[in-house]
Amino acid sequence: MLSRVADSLYWLSRYLERAENLARLVDVNRHDALDSTGGEDNEAVWRPLLYATCTETAFTEARLEGDPHATEVGAFIMFSHRNPDSVRQCIATARENARMVRDQISEEMWLELNSIHLFMQSADAEDLWRRQPEALCREVIKFSLLFQGLSDATIVHDEGWQFVQLGKFIERADKTSRILDILTYFTEPERTELASVLRSCSGFSAFRAEFRGDITLPNVMAFLLFSQSFPRSVRFCVRRLDGVLHAISGVPIGTFSNEAERLTGGMLAQLNFSSLDSVWQSGLHDYIDGLQQRLNDIGQRVFETYVLLPSEIRNVNRADGHRPQLQAQQQQQ
Amino acid sequence: MRLRVHHRTDYHYTTPVTDSVNELRLYPASGRWQSCESAFITVLPAVRLRRYEDLNCNVVHHFELARPHQRLTIESRITVTTREKVDFEKLPYGFHHRDLPRCQRLEECFPFLQDSHYVTRTPDIWRQALDIQGGSTDVFQTSYAIMEHIFGGYTYRSGATTVGTHASEVIERRTGVCQDFAHAMVALCRAIGIPARYVSGYFFDATRDHRLRGSEASHAWVEIYIDGSGWIGLDPTNNKVVDATYIVIATGRDYRDVAPVIGTYYGTGRSSLSVTVQVQRLAE
Amino acid sequence: MFENYQKDHFFDEMFVSGDHDVFDFYQPLRERFDRLSEAELSEKRRRVDHGFLEQGVTFTVYGDEQGTERIFPFDLIPRVIPDAEWRLVEQGLTQRIIALNLFLHDVYHEGRIIKDGIIPEDVVKTAAHYRPEMLGVQVPRDIYIHICGSDLIRDGEGRYLVLEDNGRCPSGVSYLLENREAMKRAFPGLYRKCGVRPVDQYPELLLKTLQHLSPRTGQTPVCVLLTPGVYNSAYFEHTFLARKMGIEIVEGRDLIATDGYVYMRTTKGLVQVDVIYRRLDDDFLDPAVFRPDSMLGVPGIMEAYLRGNVALANAVGTGVADDKVTYAYVPDMIRYYLAQDPILDNVPTYLAWKADDQKYILENLERLVVKAANESGGYGMLMGPSSTAAERAEFADRIRHTPRNYIAQPVVPLSRHPTICDDMAIEGRHVDLRPFILYGEDVEIIPGGLTRVALKKGSLVVNSSQGGGSKDTWVLYR
Repeated sequence: MLSRVADSLYWLSRYLERAENLARLVDVNRHDALDSTGGEDNEAVWRPLLYATCTETAFTEARLEGDPHATEVGAFIMFSHRNPDSVRQCIATARENARMVRDQISEEMWLELNSIHLFMQSADAEDLWRRQPEALCREVIKFSLLFQGLSDATIVHDEGWQFVQLGKFIERADKTSRILDILTYFTEPERTELASVLRSCSGFSAFRAEFRGDITLPNVMAFLLFSQSFPRSVRFCVRRLDGVLHAISGVPIGTFSNEAERLTGGMLAQLNFSSLDSVWQSGLHDYIDGLQQRLNDIGQRVFETYVLLPSEIRNVNRADGHRPQLQAQQQQQ
Repeated sequence: MRLRVHHRTDYHYTTPVTDSVNELRLYPASGRWQSCESAFITVLPAVRLRRYEDLNCNVVHHFELARPHQRLTIESRITVTTREKVDFEKLPYGFHHRDLPRCQRLEECFPFLQDSHYVTRTPDIWRQALDIQGGSTDVFQTSYAIMEHIFGGYTYRSGATTVGTHASEVIERRTGVCQDFAHAMVALCRAIGIPARYVSGYFFDATRDHRLRGSEASHAWVEIYIDGSGWIGLDPTNNKVVDATYIVIATGRDYRDVAPVIGTYYGTGRSSLSVTVQVQRLAE
Repeated sequence: MFENYQKDHFFDEMFVSGDHDVFDFYQPLRERFDRLSEAELSEKRRRVDHGFLEQGVTFTVYGDEQGTERIFPFDLIPRVIPDAEWRLVEQGLTQRIIALNLFLHDVYHEGRIIKDGIIPEDVVKTAAHYRPEMLGVQVPRDIYIHICGSDLIRDGEGRYLVLEDNGRCPSGVSYLLENREAMKRAFPGLYRKCGVRPVDQYPELLLKTLQHLSPRTGQTPVCVLLTPGVYNSAYFEHTFLARKMGIEIVEGRDLIATDGYVYMRTTKGLVQVDVIYRRLDDDFLDPAVFRPDSMLGVPGIMEAYLRGNVALANAVGTGVADDKVTYAYVPDMIRYYLAQDPILDNVPTYLAWKADDQKYILENLERLVVKAANESGGYGMLMGPSSTAAERAEFADRIRHTPRNYIAQPVVPLSRHPTICDDMAIEGRHVDLRPFILYGEDVEIIPGGLTRVALKKGSLVVNSSQGGGSKDTWVLYR
């Protein structure tokens, strides 16, 4: 298929996964803030969120310049135009990508995406946020899950669908690791913080089933990093990523035909065989940093292999000395 | 029968040629048995095309191409509706050999009883024609026998003859293509006083296995004159009385009068020619 | 249904003039509609419109940030053309496309028609879409216009006249095909009863036309459709045709031209492209040659094209043939190249660059339609009878200043066709016809074409951008 189409499907899916994770993060955090002493708007409670989404500076700047959405962190993450990764912006970018490949996705997928986009752009969404913030977050999460269901059920599972999966799992692995990273913000994370991280990954009940409710830092880490069956653990996502990449290239699992496959294979092996000891050795934050770096590398390699320029012409020079101009789409992180 | 023909002629010259002057006889004839719906004749390099009718009432297109060129493409696209020319239930028997001298006096027939460029009446041809006639006194029966004689006794082989091969040569060697068969038949007919003319055109091969000859090229056959019925077409290449599958383009004394594309040019290089013809049946 | 129908003084497609009878080929249609109640008709209309929305048969309205997509208004009463009438149109259009192609070959090679004094050199060389780059270039199969959409109108006597030839990127064929599907669903019985020649072979014929151009032999040619992108108003049509032909729809950035070849970028690497059906004007094709500011095209594509390694449909430079001044000379071209008289006439045309004509135009502005030579879609036009004195004064200045750029034609009273208007009333509305012509190995014209209808009462402008709608066009077997 056309590289551009693959690229658009990949980013469409990544941005939606991102929006879903952000909405869940905001929802959980807002809920926790109610319990804390400073009330719902207590900034101290919201700080870790800015930390996890790498938007501290953007928030401060936006606030200084009087962005109406920068009065509180939740609204900033949900709506701000100053925040390239706000839920509203993520959905708009996803829709833009979908528009480029409208003939490749089903009508149902387009209609749902278009309607959530129009809603997020409207004043109704902000109104709902003021009255019932949890309802807005749930709306976004529900949409994302619906969209995933539609993409599984209404389009052929061909190469394009594999690129949708690719975007989803790479983003999900990244987000899970970032949420886990919130814990390194606290010197000694307490039960409420651990529980909130689990809920942010939609993994509280799954965790309880696996660890009998023994909420400790090592258990939470083991669960979110290494769980075999929890669909948001880093290991689970990377295993799916490996499968998808091999499905695209047609090369058997265990071997590799390009850098993206080699890196993913290596990362999966490490996740399969490492234990918490190796995490303690490097320190949780540095360990997570390492994971994110690898995920970025994989994303970059996927882009180079399938989208940017196929290797055949990487060194082609035109007779007149001009090189073909490259135009690539969003390259983030 | 509604038929569409696409006829394309390509000349390639190894070195540029100049001052090409050409005549095209590609425009369908019209009469009650054939009506032309549309006909477009094009020449590349683009030239001004002129149109006139020749002495045999064929439509001729003429062009001049003075500047050097290495390629010349002539295309014709025609759509015609044809009807049966003869009633196959009632073939035109009944015209006697003894009445043939009447034709000598008809203006319509006179030229087609004389010698022409490719056709000469010789004693040998006359004797052969008499042998084929045998005891027949009926002109149509004799003509049919001549057609069967050629179809059955001659070998169809392309490459054995050239565009310049004379009728006498064909009758001697009994080998050739449709042009040669038509020339031979014209000669045999004229030798015993049957007015015969040369027809150029196309035909649609309606047989299931496409076993007829000449349907993928410009085709040629013969028309003989039967008093009371007019010109009746006989195709010695396929042993057929001409029916609605045939499209008449031009008629004349022989090939020279009706050549689809004929002309001259100045130049020293070699030229190569390719011709394609497609005949397609359309919905009525 | 038709009892209150007013023919007025126009030629009516359905009703015999001066009479309340319909032409016999409209009889089954009349009977069917007479049996319909207003409620049934309204329900059919609702279902058809809904169908179009669901199928995404839409066009994008320019200047709307949300990229609103609208359906192209569709009228349920089909236009019917009997076989004999259609054959004449078919021949006329075939003759025209052949002559236009010979003309293009001539002006980009020897220019004989200019030297013989049939068409002034100035007219050709000053046409906005004349491309000197194409001089001496041999295009694949010597065909320039492979896909043509000519606009036909019928005058007060019902004669077909050619209004213009769209030899660049004519659009609208997807509406034709979708209209037919909608009509087959809405009136299956009537459709069968009338005996209508099918149109759905178009995508297949188009693909054959494209494949015919491939410079590579011995393998299935790789054809692609090049679109300006999702923001183009005809984007729906681009995806529609690409899907029906089973070829890739690409944007400029999906293609790479290197070493004189064009490739498309796929997840499996570079794939060489043989034929590009481009829905992009010459100006945007190759930013390195034509417009450095264009982001839509493919740098280097012209080099590959001139080397003969990739074919473009239509060829570059065809715009010189659909210039409105050149248009006035098409009958002369037909006589010159084909030694025939034109089968279809032009609308009489006055050329402002000829002194006599200019004088006539300036004296009769309020009775003429003035058109800019190189604009399409109804822009840059003065409708004399409905213009204000100020508008006429402005056009008079423009004509004196750049006479080459203007032509004028008498106002042709376009034929009318019964059309369902507001409140389900059936009234006469002006129509034109855009048939689609393919020139590959042979000339193929899809029976009928897109009938466009001016929905505003009294309006003569049928363009979709200016309040036009469309009808299905039924060419009958008999």
